[in-house]
Amino acid sequence: MSAILTSPPAARPHESPGLWMLAWRRLRHDRVGMLSLAIVVFFLGLMAASYFGLVASDWSKEKGVSYANPSFLAGQENLEARNMAERRAAVKAPPVDLSDVDPLAPRYKEWAERAAKIAVTEVKRSETLPFGGDKWGRDVLKKAIKGSEVSIFVGLASALLATFIGTVLGAFAGYWGGKVNDLLEWFYNIFTSIPYILLILAFAAVATATGKFGKGIVPIVLILSLTGWTGIYRLIRAEYIKHCNREYVKAAQAIGASNASRMFHHILPNVSHVALVQLSQYTVGFIKAEVILSFLGFGVPVDMVSWGTMLAEAQNELVIGKWWQLAAAGASMAVLVTAFSLLTDSLRDALDPKLK
Amino acid sequence: MTAYVIRRIWQMIPTILGVILLIFILFNWVGGDPAQVLAGKISNPDQIANIRKQLGVDQPYWYQLWVFVKQVFTFDFGRSWSTNELVSHIILTRVGPTLTVMLPCLAITSTLAVLFAVMVAYVRGTVTDRGIMIVCTVAMSVSFLVYIIVFQWLFGFVLGWFPVQGWSESFWKNLTYYAPLPIMLAVFVGLAPELRLYRSFFLDEINQDYVRTARAKGVPEKKVMLKHVMRNALIPILTNLAILLPGIFVGSFLLEVFFSIPGLGREVVTAVNRSDFPVIKAVTVYLAIITMIINLLVDVLYKLVDPRVSFK
Amino acid sequence: MADAQRKVLRVAFRAAETGFDPQRIFDRYSVGICENIYETLVSYDYLARPVKLVPLAAEAVPEPEEGGTRYTFRIKPGIYYSDDPVFHGHRRELVAADVEYAIKRFRDPKLRSPYEWLFEHNILGLDELAERAKKEGKFDYDTKIPGIEVRGKYVVSFKLKEPNFNFLYFMAMPNVVPVAREVIEAYDADTMAHPVGTGPYVLKEWVRRSKIVLERNPNYRGFELETRYADMADEWDRRAVEALAGKRLPLIDRIEIYPIEDEQPRFLAFLNHEHDILDELPFQFINQVMPNGKLAPQLAAQGVRVFPELQPEITYDVFNMDAKTNDGAENPVGGYTPERVALRRAMVLAHDRNQEIYIVRKGQAIAAQSPVPPGVVGYDPDFRSNAQDPDPPRAKALLDMFGYVDRDGDGWRDTPDGRALTVHYKYNLGGQEQRELAELWVKCLAEVGIRAEAVAVQFADLINDKRVGKFQLAGSAWIADYPDAQNFLQLLYGPNTEQSNEARFKLPEYDRLYEKSLTVPDGEERNRLYREMTRLVFAYAPWRLGVTRRFNHLQYPWVKAYKKHPILYTNYKWLDIDVAAQQAAMK
Repeated sequence: MSAILTSPPAARPHESPGLWMLAWRRLRHDRVGMLSLAIVVFFLGLMAASYFGLVASDWSKEKGVSYANPSFLAGQENLEARNMAERRAAVKAPPVDLSDVDPLAPRYKEWAERAAKIAVTEVKRSETLPFGGDKWGRDVLKKAIKGSEVSIFVGLASALLATFIGTVLGAFAGYWGGKVNDLLEWFYNIFTSIPYILLILAFAAVATATGKFGKGIVPIVLILSLTGWTGIYRLIRAEYIKHCNREYVKAAQAIGASNASRMFHHILPNVSHVALVQLSQYTVGFIKAEVILSFLGFGVPVDMVSWGTMLAEAQNELVIGKWWQLAAAGASMAVLVTAFSLLTDSLRDALDPKLK
Repeated sequence: MTAYVIRRIWQMIPTILGVILLIFILFNWVGGDPAQVLAGKISNPDQIANIRKQLGVDQPYWYQLWVFVKQVFTFDFGRSWSTNELVSHIILTRVGPTLTVMLPCLAITSTLAVLFAVMVAYVRGTVTDRGIMIVCTVAMSVSFLVYIIVFQWLFGFVLGWFPVQGWSESFWKNLTYYAPLPIMLAVFVGLAPELRLYRSFFLDEINQDYVRTARAKGVPEKKVMLKHVMRNALIPILTNLAILLPGIFVGSFLLEVFFSIPGLGREVVTAVNRSDFPVIKAVTVYLAIITMIINLLVDVLYKLVDPRVSFK
Repeated sequence: MADAQRKVLRVAFRAAETGFDPQRIFDRYSVGICENIYETLVSYDYLARPVKLVPLAAEAVPEPEEGGTRYTFRIKPGIYYSDDPVFHGHRRELVAADVEYAIKRFRDPKLRSPYEWLFEHNILGLDELAERAKKEGKFDYDTKIPGIEVRGKYVVSFKLKEPNFNFLYFMAMPNVVPVAREVIEAYDADTMAHPVGTGPYVLKEWVRRSKIVLERNPNYRGFELETRYADMADEWDRRAVEALAGKRLPLIDRIEIYPIEDEQPRFLAFLNHEHDILDELPFQFINQVMPNGKLAPQLAAQGVRVFPELQPEITYDVFNMDAKTNDGAENPVGGYTPERVALRRAMVLAHDRNQEIYIVRKGQAIAAQSPVPPGVVGYDPDFRSNAQDPDPPRAKALLDMFGYVDRDGDGWRDTPDGRALTVHYKYNLGGQEQRELAELWVKCLAEVGIRAEAVAVQFADLINDKRVGKFQLAGSAWIADYPDAQNFLQLLYGPNTEQSNEARFKLPEYDRLYEKSLTVPDGEERNRLYREMTRLVFAYAPWRLGVTRRFNHLQYPWVKAYKKHPILYTNYKWLDIDVAAQQAAMK
């Protein structure tokens, strides 16, 4: 038998690039977009480094004197630090004897012996820090870095959760229509009729009162996402309504795809670009909202630092001439938010087939 | 048309009931106990119980909810628990100052935003366009809090161009002396996002077929922009304004706190801190109703302006 | 009087007012306004330090009768309320029946008065009347009770269940003032906005939370400065005496008060000459105003004066002494056994009060040496203990000694019986200062190896949690209602648990000493008892004593005769203004 001549492999059809590939190519040519992307990636990298303790892990150490000057203002007068250093010793009147009423009296001698053995470590505090110190003498630069980690994380986590909630609800409303849509629309109307500030305060008050929202940054993430999902709900719902009647969905139905499959396997990828852009916008919005919540006292707990807590601390520092914490937090936040916003724009332009 | 309006009004009721339910759950059920705030330095559980009785919060929840619903439909929320002022009086007197700041702000911001958006759309794609957009974005990225702290200190105190804070009884004095700095701040912060939005509206219109047709017909570019594009872009712009409108009643509580403006925003934040339910309930419900009415008006206007839009 | 010559005083308040019905209000700003609109029977002399009770609406300060259980007041004839439509054009004189009515109002359940406690368990028959009112839902003002005898037009006599040597101080409190019954009944729910009193000023304008205007009461009889107790060596006394010599007070025609809650605007407004007085300069700005303890040059050049004041108050942190917190959870810091005492004492030693004073409070405070602050009768300036001085090595030694060591290797100390130890510090989320104090606790405890968590709660919840014992450690403060040590020591009296005894401190020995001290007037014996009680407080550490704050009050030089009173909230009726100088500066 002669060698079977196999027909040469059919010429591979020219693969048309998918939406994402096209978007990436377009983005690559957008200089501002690429720069923003670089900045955002840099911040994310900083965030990761900070999270893993590679930088700013000792942000809470009080290396400097109170309100230490930045290095570039080394000679400036620092009355706060001087007052602390010169504090007048308390009047050493003879202390009152407690030994006849004190439950600890039997062990006084042992106590004194033990205390004498414990070494006292005096740490010398620095007069200046690279970008100055806050009132406790903590390094403002390190705080800004750690603060960016926390703020970005809060922003991203809230945005992800809000997008998730809004997308799922929007999908259900848009896809199923009918009673499900009516119920979800009712929900949407309630949330959007109440003034945003009231909604946030109400949820924040509940979070602190019941403690059921959890600890750490969980409450603030929940507050932001539970009040912020309405925007994306509207968009996704509109998209789903649009796509529901499209051919490919009907085709999927024909081949027996379940409702869930149609909703999330088929339609969702086609609306994901809308979700992505909205996610990006949410991140920016929530980072800014965190500042306001921190100002009101609902921010991250005491053992953490965020841009919001830094700005809340700094609100009275400008008048007394200690501007560096305000500048550090304000500027780093502005840079990140600008970069993120510009990136969102470029992303939207890149993903939008119409704008060419 | 009337049927449509009536149907829409009828549909508002479930939403209002939903708002009532949500606020009730958040404040009455879960929120802080107002009796604690109103009790003195030294009070015993008996006195606290008495306060709760006087306020009516010792009643079963379903009864309190029923009272709430009644209050909404009779528009009588009683008196503030902390100051005893009639809630209706509170709202009527605080709305004035808030609007004195927010209405000029809205007007100025929108006018400037439209103007700049048109200009930028005219030179779209150029370096100027990109440059202005980036400046906008940067302006939007600085926290409102930072703006307030710095502007108050710089313009009010260091330069002395404006009073640092304050308010008076005279409307004219407020408008010309006390309001300008807060208005300026609010415009500064609000201009950028609106400008970006309106620019996108204009660009959407510019890419439509009818514009290409007009250009092909030889209509000069300026006329295209001002006559055709502007008119069509006005619809989403007005829609956006309508969305912003309910927000001006509560205004910005940050501005009101820092500038001592006796407005509704500050009142609301204080009410939440003190668990002053009557004020919270009244403000929320009234604002919800206003929001819904404004949405309805916008939809009706749509129909009147654009015959293509049909009523479902 | 020509408008140009009208003397107008402009002041900013630190917090918003609520209203002006004296029996209904609680916050010191509203009470301060009432000081000017109403008059108490007895009050304090302006200049005397230590403070001295003097008659105001009464003819004389009564002597305690019947072993301290009876006090009889005789009202000065010829004192008139300010005009009000309710009086139908007649001048309404102040009578003793008005005093009776006002006292009864404190117990009216409908008013839910925050100062009800002033007249609980003292006046004979009043408790029963209040009980009846609770049952019937209505207070019967017309029933006479044995505890309040109105004898004729001007005399009212109070009979108490037990001796109370501080009763006169109660009657000096600015909200214990007579009110006209017909006014109250006419304005009913609106009494907060329609104050009608016999004081030097009337409420002219009120834009809530924005502006309060007081103007001269035309029916006021006027008075002159009492110089009997002036100390001419004190520059403030001397200036006051000189400025007011021979003048009929009050001199100020109009007082404009602006509540400004935020600190930067309030401070900047004063610097901008928008206000004449800045009471309680916010601490953050101390170095702008007084760098190195001396007045800043640009302020000194304008003639600004600073009145430093140690208010009769203390701040402190409260440990919940119960074994379990209100929600049933184990409370590691409560208890009276040596182990628990050791934990608390160690925590107190670990806390660095110096940082609290110099960093958080900018040096504007002194460490409290006992539960009783200076300026209060019964204060012992010689009392000192080192049990609360910061000393981390002693703290660590104490913890090691009693078994609080790290057993599970997580780097944090555990309880002697091996469980993980986390201390929860609750604080009010409303203020930046509160947050800083919380930060201080967490890091000081971390220094000695104790893990702490700071929990932020809303104001209403914090009050509730502290009252019912749903906390481990929380911050607190107390300002004197009246200038006697008893007002502070009652904070640790066992039976006051669920009220003002937030620590839920129940030590029989302390209670015994406290009850004994109630029966003795001020003197050697009482001071000895107070000393014993204070030693117990240091030994068992139900509190970490905090500070007494030092406030600085600023005035421009055109404000004359200023002297801040430790108990009275305002001093407007004794001030004068140099109008020309004021106008010149405002240009």
